[in-house]
Amino acid sequence: MDSTAAKLEPLFAFLSSSLSQLETTFYKVPGSHVVARYVKSSHQNDPGRTLLEIILFLFAVRTLLQSRTRAESPGNHFIQFTDKEVDDLVDEWTPEPLGQPLSEAEVADLAAVPVITGPNGAKPKLLGTTKPVLNFASYNFTGLAGQESIKERAIETLRKYGVGSCGPPGFYGTMDVHMDLERNIADFLGAEAAILYSQAFATISSVIPAFAKRGDIIVADRGVNFAIQKGLQISRSTIRWFDHNDLQSLEAVLESVEKDRRRRKGPLVRRFIVTEGIFEKDGAMVDLPKLIELKEKYKYRLILDESVSFGTVGRTGRGLTELYNVPATKVDMLVGSVSNTLNSAGGFCAGSKIIVDHQRINGTSFVFSAAVPALLAVSASEGINMLRDTPSILSTLQENIRAIRSILLRVDCISIPSHPASPIIHIHVRPAAPLTLTPSSSAASHSGKPSNPASIHPRDRDRSRDSHRDLRDKERERDRYGYRGSKHHREPDRDERKRRDDHREDRERSASVFRGDGGEKRDLPVEEKHEERAEKRPRYERDAEEAKEEAGPPQPAVRAETPEEGEI
Amino acid sequence: MASAASYLSAVSQADARARAHGTTPTSTPALSLSSSITSSSEDTVLDESEDYADGLSFPRNPPTSEQVFDTLHSEFGHCANDNYRYTSMHPQGAEIKPWEEKEPPYYILITTYLSYIFLICLGHMRDFLGKRFRSQFYRHLLPYDGHAPLNSDFDSFYTRRLKARIDDCFSYPVTGVPGRTIALLDRYSLDHNLTQILTGGTTRALNISSYNYLGFAQARGGVADAVEEGLRRYGVSTCGTRLEGGTSELHHTAEALVASFVGQEDALISSMGFATNSTIIPALVNKGCLVISDELNHASIRFGVRLSGANVRMFKHNDMDALEGLLREVISQGQPKTHRPWKKILIIVEGLYSMEGTMVNLLGLLQLKKKYKFYLFVDEAHSIGALGPHGRGVADYFNVSPRSIDILMGTFTKSFGAAGGYVSGNKALIDRLRLRGHGGPYAESISPPVLIQILASMASIMGVGPAALPSAPSLKHSTRSSDSTITLRQDMAEQYKYPGPAAPSQLPAWMDLPLNLRDGSQASRACGASPSTRATSHAGSRSSASSRTDTMAVFARMMRTRATPIVVVVVAYPATPLVTSRVRFCLSAAHTKEDIDLVLRACDEIGDVLDLKHHPDTADASSSRFLFRDESDGKTTAQCMVVVTAEFAATPRGVCGRIVNALDEPGASLSPSPQAAWRARLFLFVGFALMAGGLAGSVSVLVLKYLLHAYAEQYLYYGYANVAQNVALMLSAVILWISQSSGSEYEYNLSI
Repeated sequence: MDSTAAKLEPLFAFLSSSLSQLETTFYKVPGSHVVARYVKSSHQNDPGRTLLEIILFLFAVRTLLQSRTRAESPGNHFIQFTDKEVDDLVDEWTPEPLGQPLSEAEVADLAAVPVITGPNGAKPKLLGTTKPVLNFASYNFTGLAGQESIKERAIETLRKYGVGSCGPPGFYGTMDVHMDLERNIADFLGAEAAILYSQAFATISSVIPAFAKRGDIIVADRGVNFAIQKGLQISRSTIRWFDHNDLQSLEAVLESVEKDRRRRKGPLVRRFIVTEGIFEKDGAMVDLPKLIELKEKYKYRLILDESVSFGTVGRTGRGLTELYNVPATKVDMLVGSVSNTLNSAGGFCAGSKIIVDHQRINGTSFVFSAAVPALLAVSASEGINMLRDTPSILSTLQENIRAIRSILLRVDCISIPSHPASPIIHIHVRPAAPLTLTPSSSAASHSGKPSNPASIHPRDRDRSRDSHRDLRDKERERDRYGYRGSKHHREPDRDERKRRDDHREDRERSASVFRGDGGEKRDLPVEEKHEERAEKRPRYERDAEEAKEEAGPPQPAVRAETPEEGEI
Repeated sequence: MASAASYLSAVSQADARARAHGTTPTSTPALSLSSSITSSSEDTVLDESEDYADGLSFPRNPPTSEQVFDTLHSEFGHCANDNYRYTSMHPQGAEIKPWEEKEPPYYILITTYLSYIFLICLGHMRDFLGKRFRSQFYRHLLPYDGHAPLNSDFDSFYTRRLKARIDDCFSYPVTGVPGRTIALLDRYSLDHNLTQILTGGTTRALNISSYNYLGFAQARGGVADAVEEGLRRYGVSTCGTRLEGGTSELHHTAEALVASFVGQEDALISSMGFATNSTIIPALVNKGCLVISDELNHASIRFGVRLSGANVRMFKHNDMDALEGLLREVISQGQPKTHRPWKKILIIVEGLYSMEGTMVNLLGLLQLKKKYKFYLFVDEAHSIGALGPHGRGVADYFNVSPRSIDILMGTFTKSFGAAGGYVSGNKALIDRLRLRGHGGPYAESISPPVLIQILASMASIMGVGPAALPSAPSLKHSTRSSDSTITLRQDMAEQYKYPGPAAPSQLPAWMDLPLNLRDGSQASRACGASPSTRATSHAGSRSSASSRTDTMAVFARMMRTRATPIVVVVVAYPATPLVTSRVRFCLSAAHTKEDIDLVLRACDEIGDVLDLKHHPDTADASSSRFLFRDESDGKTTAQCMVVVTAEFAATPRGVCGRIVNALDEPGASLSPSPQAAWRARLFLFVGFALMAGGLAGSVSVLVLKYLLHAYAEQYLYYGYANVAQNVALMLSAVILWISQSSGSEYEYNLSI
């Protein structure tokens, strides 16, 4: 023992000397006394305290070093492979083809797309035919296509501005003609300001996410068009659906959202109602005054898509706001299409100046896209002037609609879900055979299912009632319009007021019909339901639409919550 | 080359135009001194009072009788010197340099961040006080009548408190043709850019801001004549969507021409460039697919990918090694959690990145594609027409077959002076997109005048000739699957031959382009579309040159208020990440050599004033002056352009209070300069640590020195004041921290 102690003697001596040296150097460092005092005072002959300090220190270091981005960490699911294994996996992997070749039916559909030679209009010529055809397919509601005065204005503009705008609005792409069109639209509608997007389809899918963010609440109609669905999807807001064009259902949803909020005592979030003026999918019209009443009662903001109704209803085509005599300022964001009625290109959103200015920096497709070509903007302005100056355009349109409906309503095997004033007329084909009752069990299971967001029909309305209602509607309508004929020209103002009243009455009556039928539960054998726009809507359209629905049903915001999704 | 033919055509054209408008020609324009239609009397854009000396409306040196120009000098510059042309193509075998960020010096970074803190604190203070004392102006930011605020506070903070200061540089209203020059509508603001008041006057400025790479933005000339004729024939609109009665024969004609132009089997045209991406990508990929996207991709691509529901990963800009690593990881790991193999992997890149001016490493990508079997989507929004010896985009530039790329997408807004976009690929795929793309049944079709502009401009690049179009495209391997055995080398060696001039049958029968457009002579003179001379140096359309700057607003103002006004684009959030706003130059074939010199000289002078020159190569002024001297070799000039513009490093100094820049988010991987950002963040962190230490210290001093000793009240004050001071410091830092991290709501459009 002694020998080992003796052997270690120099070592100890070295250790102690080096320690003391370390101590002196340590104390030479300025501020070291403070540290020493701190360590001593915190130690206080209690190792536990020192241990705690060290643990705290380590914890702080660990927290600082930890990666702060969740997406980076692959988590538990990451599998380690060797290079060889990765190579094998790479060799093994075979991707699906980028696009599946078209099936025969799809090829036929594509081939059936009508190709117009020469200008489009009421009677264009199709490729491969010599005789002009009657056109019930194009969005030429106001007949502005082919107006010589518009063409002349467009040519004038071409000679002054060229074709392209060659820049996004933020970077020298804003021309005086764009500002004029924006002002014209705002004045026409009676809104404070308007903003011009360069494609109608891309407008509302930019407007919605410019305002509605994650955590906000959007209450939307089940029957909204595809562009709105995309806008809802990209906004990442919480989405609640109400039954198609059913304001009672809307009220119920608003009530439940309100209850939810009161229960959770959450913070006040932005809330929006999103719906269409005249629905692209079936031509139904929303009851704007009632909608405004609800939105004001429950403190929502209204995003109204008037792509179809702008330029087609109202005395001079100012849309639903004119038809129902509601000031446009009551609609917070009024979105419309410049391409449908004004026969130009682009879309707009009208609202207060604050709302419009916000989109100039936050409307994605406004910021990142070139402005509309000048000649198209001027054509649209000219179109607005014509609508303003010639109210007969609209009265003729309405006469035509009535005329065609009066004929269609006599056909027994179809029903028309569209509103009497809607320029888009959808036709549902009904089976001619009498209805057969199926066991009630299937009916129960049918209505018990959660509603399908892709379907525009409410979950608790089954088809028999649907068709009953259609039948009754049709009868009523036939009584009203059937024998009026197109030669009775009436003062548009009065005519319209009358129809507005009719519409209110209609709503009440059909509501009572619903209630009367409410107890019964009947189901129909699965029937094929055709939707056609006017008589001529060809088959490919339906298929395309079905394909669309397959491709992207509206999805609630939850889908976007995963981190991978968020980091595009 | 001034051929007799083009001379005669110019004469007859001017004559015809004069007659068409029912006025007798006051002088025979082609025989007048300027030998151009500049003096054309019905010109409504230029008024006579304009200054002749600035060289904007009329060339400084009148052209000789040898030189004939049939364009307006203000729309398309008269530049007769052929010495400045060069062919835009990738040198065979040359290495592609990886993208590197020029980092600004530290003092600039620090001052940048300081100016930030200052502005953000000031902004929050104004908001805080404003909401309490002038609430009527802040209604949209406050809960009002039961509504939540329309804009959540930080959402609009940037717009109100930072961007509003330089709003005079954005959305400048213009009029007339956005060609070589542009007429600005003069405006001023009395309320700090809240409202802009138009004076009614206009200022003509040299335009290096519009996407007019090939100079087709013209209101005169054969293309515009064709558009006018088309307007008369077809009207303004086709009234409907492509699948619902809005398809015109013109669409088919244009799609066929576009397909042969880009060298693909088929093409689909949509009416908006943004919507092309946002509607096509969801039709290509869906759940179970993976999209690998360059971090600097355009917002429309992000939008489309988000709609598609596919998973997304990003790779460092143009970094092929990073991409390969990522590919190995994602293919071996498969889909998240389930580990099932991906259905498809689609890599989306841009040909020319609009905000960086960098070009995709196409050769590297194609090599990877061979091995990893992904699909390649190249967005050629900026490169189509502007790159390559034939003007056919990046594939042409790198001399690879366009069919080795699965999808070529591009827009007509830029090089063709029109609007809209296209997507091209093999026939089966495009047919699928016609049916499944969102645009087909729902979006309005592109309107006839725009289509004709596309047709005419594209035909004049290709030239129209009787040369028989090869019935089968002159590509040996027809489908993608059959070439899988051919190695990449062979693939590249096997040069794709672009179809020669467009056959007259590919254009509408009525379209009668003037001779100088038909034989491509104007195009080759103007934009060098003939194989040998493409993209003249003064048409260095490839450099939509970008530079990394913090705030270029002052730069833009100084450019705009020079003797010869120049308009440049200031790009800031949301088009770029917050921290890297920049100035962008879009050169055009319409610019003349003198214009480029003018721009460079202006850059040089203003760069000195604002201390913008930080690139090591151009640190001394003499080297940048070298650029102007070395005029004989066009290529050098063009390359130097990029250098000059790349030199503007971050400089907010000296322009205090006018500077907009914002911190990028901590942890965000999107910053194009991770190193610089990392270092700056380190400085910030050290600062924070010191502040925290200070606070802790002040508290302990308070306790140990004052409280424990039970001093009298008046002495305790010193302890409390110390703590309060530190708390205030920390608070200001916290505000900064919160304000930069609460941007997560809109993170997806933070960068392009």
